[in-house]
Formats: sequence, C-alpha cells, structure tokens
Amino acid sequence: MTEVNLEDVQALIELFDASQWDELHIVSKGFEIHLSNDPADRGRLSGATALAPAPLRGDAAASTAHTGPSTPTSPARPAPRAVAPQAPQAQPTPAGHVTIRAGSLGTFYMAPKPGAKPYVEIGQRVQPDTDVCVIEVMKLFTSVQAGVTGVVRQVLVKDAELVEFDQPLFLIEVTE
Amino acid sequence: MSMRRLLVANRGEIALRIVRAARARGIETVLAASVADKDSQAAHEADRTIVIGAAPARSSYLDGRVLVHTALQTGCDALHPGYGFLSERASFAALCEANGIVFVGPTSESIRLVGDKLAARTLARAAGVSMVSGSEKVASVEEAQRIAAHIGYPVITKASAGGGGRGMLVARSAEDLSAGFDTSSHEAQEAFGDGTLYLERYVERARHVEVQVIGDGLGTILHFGERDCSLQRRYQKMMEEAPAAILSEQVRRRLHQAAIDLLAPIKYRNAGTVEFLYDEERDQFYFMEVNARIQVEHPVSEAVCGVDLIQLQLAVASGEPLHLTQADIVTRGHAIEVRILAEDPMRNFTPSPGRITTWAPPAGPGVRLDTAMCEGTLVPPYYDSMIGKLIVHGADRAQALERLRQALHDFVIEGIATNLQLLRAIAEHPDIASNQIDTRWSERVLLPAFALL
Repeated sequence: MTEVNLEDVQALIELFDASQWDELHIVSKGFEIHLSNDPADRGRLSGATALAPAPLRGDAAASTAHTGPSTPTSPARPAPRAVAPQAPQAQPTPAGHVTIRAGSLGTFYMAPKPGAKPYVEIGQRVQPDTDVCVIEVMKLFTSVQAGVTGVVRQVLVKDAELVEFDQPLFLIEVTE
Repeated sequence: MSMRRLLVANRGEIALRIVRAARARGIETVLAASVADKDSQAAHEADRTIVIGAAPARSSYLDGRVLVHTALQTGCDALHPGYGFLSERASFAALCEANGIVFVGPTSESIRLVGDKLAARTLARAAGVSMVSGSEKVASVEEAQRIAAHIGYPVITKASAGGGGRGMLVARSAEDLSAGFDTSSHEAQEAFGDGTLYLERYVERARHVEVQVIGDGLGTILHFGERDCSLQRRYQKMMEEAPAAILSEQVRRRLHQAAIDLLAPIKYRNAGTVEFLYDEERDQFYFMEVNARIQVEHPVSEAVCGVDLIQLQLAVASGEPLHLTQADIVTRGHAIEVRILAEDPMRNFTPSPGRITTWAPPAGPGVRLDTAMCEGTLVPPYYDSMIGKLIVHGADRAQALERLRQALHDFVIEGIATNLQLLRAIAEHPDIASNQIDTRWSERVLLPAFALL
C-alpha cells in the first residue's frame, strides 16, 4: 500500500471488528497500525508516524449488538479532543454481555401500546429474533430485535424517552 | 411568538455561527449532529447535542423526519436549516410547518416557487426584471436548435430543477447542441430527478452579482447591498466581495430594486439572495435565480452593512418587526471572503480529509474567520470540504485586498492539504487588483498559471 487514507483505516477497523482476531498489526512504508481487543495493550507502536483512527467508530451501519470487551479497538494515540460530556456510549459492557443499541434516533417504547405488556422484562430470556422494544420516528414504529440468545439484565433507557443514534438500550447476558 | 429553543440542523462553521447568534439573543440551542460531528465545536457550545444518525448525510442531516422528531421531542419551537442539506427543500419546510415548528427561512410555498427555475423566470417577467433571452422548457434537440437559431449562438442549456453546473452545455452551433443535448438532459435527470432543460443566450464575459435581502413576510423586502462572486471554479464560488465594485451607482440601484420587485409580490419571508448575471460589455444585468436560504458568503454583506444576518433571520422567524428601514442600511468600505477548503489544488482538487495538526489562524484589524476547526480537529470525509471562511474588511477595496494578502500569508494549516496556496496566488494576482475578472477567469487564467508554479 502506497497511500493509506482514512477509508483504508476505517475498512481495517471494520474488518477487525467483524473478525474473531485478538490483534491486528500492520507495518508499511510510513504507516503503522495496531488494533487490539485488550484495553491494556496500548503504546505498542514503534514510531511517531502512526495515524490515529480514534474518532471513526460508530459510523458503520446501525448495529444491534457489540460483543466483547469494552474497547474493541485501541486507538494508536488518543484523540486530542475531549469527548462530549453527553456522549451516550461511555459505559463499558461487562464481559459475557452485549449491549443492544439504537439503530436510529427516535422515541423508545417498551411496549407495543400504552398500558400493554412490555416486549421484554428484566430476567427474561431472549432469542436473536425476539422483539425487545420499538423506536418511533414521526409515528413510524421500528421494532428492535435482541440479535443474540441471552437474558435481559438491564434496561438502560426510560420508556417514552428520546434515544439518540447508537445509544445503548439493553444489557443482555449472553448464554450461548 | 417569541422563540425559546432552536434546533440547529446543520454542521461545521454555520452550525457554530447559528448557535452563537441564538445565544446572543437568549435562545437555547439543541444541535442535531451526526456521529462524526458529536464532538464538534458547535456541540461543545450548544446547550444540548443530540446524535441524530450515522455519519453519511443521508442517514443524518438529510433525514427530515428524524430532524423534526428531534425538534419535537427536545421541546424546540424553531429549526434553523443553515445552508445546503435540507435548507431549500420545500417538503422539509412544510413538514416543520405541519408540526408546529417554525422554519427559520421562507414559507414552503415560496421555496417551491423560487426553487423551480422556470417558475422563477415567470416571476421575474411579471416583475419586469430583465432576463437573458431564453426559452420555456425544451423537449428535444430539434426544438433546441429552432430556439437557438432565434436567440442567436452561443446558447447555454440549463436544468429547470437545479444549478451547480449540472445539465449546463455551452453550444456555439447547431452541431454542438445535437452532440450534447441528451447528455445534459441525462445529467440533470441524474442530479435533480428531473431532466427538463431550457435555453439561454450565453454571455461570454459575465460577472456573477447577487443581492442579499431579508423579507418580513408581509411584503416588505430590505436589501443589504450586493456581492460580486465572479471568481468561481466549476460554478463553485471561491471568493466573494461586497460591494460589486464593477457596477456604476446607477446600475447598482436598479439591481437592488430588481431584487425587491421580484420578491415583494410573493411576500417573501426571511433571508434570500437574488442572483444576476452582469454583462460588462452591455452594462446590463439579467436575473438568474433566487436562493431561498442564508448563503455561505453572507459575512461580506454583514461586514459592509454592520448587521448580523443570522440574528435578523431569528428575529424575523420570531415574528418580530424588522426594526430597520432601508435608510438605516448603509454600506461602509469593502469586504472580501475566501473559502478555505480541505482540497488539494495540485491533485485536481481531491478532498483531503484528516487530522489538522497545526491551525494558526490570522488576526488583526478587519479580519474575521468563520470556522469550527482548531488544532487536533479531524476533518471527516463525509461532507463538503469547506473548513473555514476568511473575511476581511477595509476602508476600500485596496485596503481589503492588502488585509487579505497579509491574512493569507499568516494562516498556517498543517496535517491536511488545503487551497491556501491557491488563495494566496489569487490575492496577489494583478487581475484581481485591477478587478478584471469574469466567471470563467479561473479556468482561463488562474488555474493554468497556477499549475505552472
């Protein structure tokens, strides 16, 4: 590779995210990148020429679940700017759990209609295709599926609250 | 209605500009940001930031339903669309109106009316505003050739549904028309979803001049002078000035009046720009189109008029009277704006997103910089490449140009490629000092010379 651009780095991160790999280390002329699933594994780069891929996360297609430890990619160098205080994705996901996230902005509803039984409750078992909530945008309701087999451990949002894009909604303990 | 809370539905420098203007008027702001912009300067300064969607504009800034939903759910009573994105989409203004959100801009009806080029020409004709001799919609090459023979070559084809160079073909003969007509129509279809073309006489040496207006929605239109935006590359403006020094006082007055005559009958509301083509040889201007939004280059008009156009937009949207008469608006001195782009002129203007490692902006009397960038900012690859607007103001054009040269000399940006070097070459070019340019000057003179540097 002669010219490494942001899209290349993004593609590498997406590839790494989708894989089962623990580490990815690439050295090329004038370019080095180290991706790791181990948060302790920082500062492994050899020189100062590294490209910082930090702020690229979250622009992949709307995802329902992110598995694994808290930081799937260790940035080669932390982004120089502070993260906005209201950033909703700050909480780490405990091991063996996944977070279900909002695939779009909208109003979060636990039940199909007011007063009805909620889609899921804490302690309930879910399958990948189990509906867990709906998100409404201008009267258009989109159901959200669990995406994994497991048990609902936490509901992270209040009913009828506005959720932002990619905001964590549920914590699921994975059982399979 | 007094405005309490405003949804800012845009990004970059204009989002920051709107947040600050709202704050100055005591209006709370909610910034609608994509994931890529959630740590932007506007996000830091807004009272609240909502991540509305993924980075690509179609999943965030172009999703009207998500924006209106956000406005409703966060208790906003108004929405500012900025420029670009949904700012001139009539259906979006209508969606805001239907949901009780004040759209900081014209009514959806006005946007629809002036947005259709042929409808706008009808409006101009009714107002007695001169236009380049041209046609109604043209259905075929044969019809185009018939009309062109009547108007006289050269002619230019234009898309009824939009601008930006798409669908435009300069034809110097019937053969040129038959060779390119279908391609132009196809191009317009691809870009705007409507392949309708019309014809105009092509002016070889044209200036782009435009009048800034604000309407109160009741029939009063105030103008804030004119701008000269002749320095363009592929129909994208590179430098804008106020006033247009080329115009005589008499022509200038007629130009302003034409803009008012055109928009007063439809009781145009909020900020708008009426664009004209000025034929230097004939000393005559011709109506081109209306831009129903605040424009990128509005700061040069602010500089010479001493007003804050964004705050005026908010005042009009709040239903306040203008508190101004035409006699209150007096222009002073000369202002020039250049657009700083994250583009590499040496590599065919390829966008150059990336992290800014050094950002040392110029300062000094009469220097203003509208930007959302600083050291360490990542320029995302998803959006327009403009990263800042440098505006200088001086007692006259010569002083403004001198300040521009100095400011560009002092400006240091590292980490990404920019067009700073090209802007310096422009500011130092003798044709700029003598004001002898036209809309094709950059293609004809500047860029060939710059390539040799």
